[in-house]
Amino acid sequence: MAGTSPSLSLAAEPAAVQTASDFVCCGAEQAGLPATRLPELALVMEEVLMNVVRHAYPEDSHGDKRGVVEITYDIPEPGCLKVEIADRGIAFNPLTYPEPDLNAPLEDRQVGGLGVFLTRQFTDSLEYVRDGAWNRVRFAMLAASPARARE
Amino acid sequence: VNIEATRTGTTVVIKVVGRLDADNAPKFEQACKAWVEQGARTLVIDMSELTYVSSMGLRSFMVIGKDLTEHSGALHLCGLTGLVKQVFEITRLNTVFTMHSSVDSALAAT
Repeated sequence: MAGTSPSLSLAAEPAAVQTASDFVCCGAEQAGLPATRLPELALVMEEVLMNVVRHAYPEDSHGDKRGVVEITYDIPEPGCLKVEIADRGIAFNPLTYPEPDLNAPLEDRQVGGLGVFLTRQFTDSLEYVRDGAWNRVRFAMLAASPARARE
Repeated sequence: VNIEATRTGTTVVIKVVGRLDADNAPKFEQACKAWVEQGARTLVIDMSELTYVSSMGLRSFMVIGKDLTEHSGALHLCGLTGLVKQVFEITRLNTVFTMHSSVDSALAAT
């Protein structure tokens, strides 16, 4: 995504989640996505961005992590929002996380690992590419929720 | 997030209002764990005014659930709506915890 697509560059820290989420929710409204998809979009943004915040950049000698995350959205047609979240951190494909075992009893269930699963459920397409020094996670959301998210 | 708790014996009803995300799920988790440390064995979470939960929020529910199990206690969830209900259903956490439509029905069952 390039050219005239709205784009935002933020420090890769937890405060970026709310700002980035508000930014793409404006895009969702422009794309004509129904209000019911906005919380789903906010959830996907939190899951993808927190992965960047946690994993993309190493800590410096002060224990701080410094790096940027760029958020871009595009509306290729009415009813479709495409979002890209890009960072220049350590090469890391979050989509390689193992699928959680949803049928295990509580004592056997891992307490983590649901973020990527939820991201898959609520997006209509999802991909990761390593592009030179950049990690790029791209997803699309359409006006209707994916069937898997309504089960 | 706003958390209000009412204790009766070893049962604590905790109403959680707002959002459980990466930022504030730890606050909710700590509040619940503190009740268990203080002897609570049945936690009834009123989620009727919880509007958002991310994987970090779900993580907190699992940590609290495991903590209660280790103390022979139980976690009861009630009043889930909208995105919160949807997220518990697609992760099948609604089959892991005991779910109720309201606090009253949860208390009647405990």
